[in-house]
Amino acid sequence: MSRLACPFCGPRELEEFAFHKTCPEPGATGYAAVYERDNRQDVSLEHWQHVRGCRAWLWVRRDPSANVVLEVRLLGQEPGP
Amino acid sequence: MQTVRRPLNLVPRYSAWSLLRARFARGPFWRPLWAGRKLQDAYDVVVVGAGGHGLATAYHLARDHGIKRVAVLERRLVGYGNVGRNTTIVRSNYLLPENHYFYEDSLRRWEQLSRELNYNVMYSARGVLDLATSDDDMSSLARRGNAMRLAGIDAELLNQAAIARFAPELHPERNRRLPLIGGLVQRRGGTVRHDAVAWGYARAATALGVDIIEDCEVTGVRTSAGAATGVETTRGYVRADRIVFAVAGHTGAIGRMLGLKLPIETHLLQAMVSEPIKPLVSTVLVYVYNHGEVYITQSDRGGLVMGGFLDGFPSYTREGQWYRLEDVVKTAVELLPQIGGVRILRHWAGTNDMTMDGSFIIDRIRYDNVFLNGGWCYGGFKAIPASGAACARLVATGTAPDLIRNHGLGRFATGRILDERGGGPFPVRQ
Repeated sequence: MSRLACPFCGPRELEEFAFHKTCPEPGATGYAAVYERDNRQDVSLEHWQHVRGCRAWLWVRRDPSANVVLEVRLLGQEPGP
Repeated sequence: MQTVRRPLNLVPRYSAWSLLRARFARGPFWRPLWAGRKLQDAYDVVVVGAGGHGLATAYHLARDHGIKRVAVLERRLVGYGNVGRNTTIVRSNYLLPENHYFYEDSLRRWEQLSRELNYNVMYSARGVLDLATSDDDMSSLARRGNAMRLAGIDAELLNQAAIARFAPELHPERNRRLPLIGGLVQRRGGTVRHDAVAWGYARAATALGVDIIEDCEVTGVRTSAGAATGVETTRGYVRADRIVFAVAGHTGAIGRMLGLKLPIETHLLQAMVSEPIKPLVSTVLVYVYNHGEVYITQSDRGGLVMGGFLDGFPSYTREGQWYRLEDVVKTAVELLPQIGGVRILRHWAGTNDMTMDGSFIIDRIRYDNVFLNGGWCYGGFKAIPASGAACARLVATGTAPDLIRNHGLGRFATGRILDERGGGPFPVRQ
């Protein structure tokens, strides 16, 4: 995994992006939203930002055991559960 | 310091006398340090994970609390995980009292460990020097140093002339883009041979009757009436009165086994070593420059051992990203321009439990007789002796000793988090 495909800018070097956090369970609030994480080995749902590019906030689905990016969308446009 | 009880049937005690006996013994005298134990059906305590923390916990359960039937179950090999993947640095220069008292307990144990285990772990008190390039750096180092001194831990704030004397290889008087104006040194900090720690604890625990079973993966926990009754393994079911998980890096999997979500993300931390060169780096150097960080030590073989920040996103791959390796090397060369031509021989990565506040967790988890020793972030290796003693006491007596009383899982819900850097609930920034 050395690139990420920004929906605006296309594939760019990973160094242009910053990982922010892993997503909590959809609908989680309070303690669960801030602290509780799946930390799964097969899939990881994450918030990233294209900080050294268009600065868009991104929703990213990755496989953390293979370092493969499965899906990138703008934050707020992620697929429903 | 208590002495280790006489070995049961294997591992001869190392001494001049045993060397002499080995010289004149008929047949093989030295035996494997821990191999050959059979997995039993039931134990008082099952420890999952034969890394530093698991082995130290098992050792202290047997030595301090007289618990006879202890097993350590390991998916791979003794010392395959982070105990063999770190940069071997030990220190207790933390800001928060909850952390510096704990790590100071650990450092005191490191000083005695070779004698206690009858195994040379090569503790080298070469000092740990955090460097400053600005007045802001100096104030934050002074604050940390003062907090340590109030706790009775050695810390000295050094000016430029003093770091030139302490670590002449830095040549701080040389013209630099960011001048080295001083630093904070902990002289009792230093390095320990990491593999020897795993082997030493494994040998000492075996001598006390602990069964260390390699190639035995725990796949589930069996429960009944609100308590755990044992673990499912790839070698069958094992009954256990108490279970300790010490699997840092893969603690998320334990959460899933127990139906819990934990305040942990798994991130990668890289380390690398250069080709051997003549003695140059006399201490442990810690340096932050722009967005890069490096900590450098020189091994006894002459290699420069270096590490830096996390890779920056969750991963279980143990494959470091190129850009981080580049960062670490660039920062190292900025600090020590004379190593510019030295080649990197190897680099590797380990999976780290990064907690939401950057501090570790030792606590009960889900059931009264299940315990978690994890969330070690960057602080795992240096914590091993204190972690083993404190965790064993919690497991044996049911009460957390003072040193880890504030390190429970409950701190995230109550807001009493131990956030050393003040970075907020973002593991990647810890």
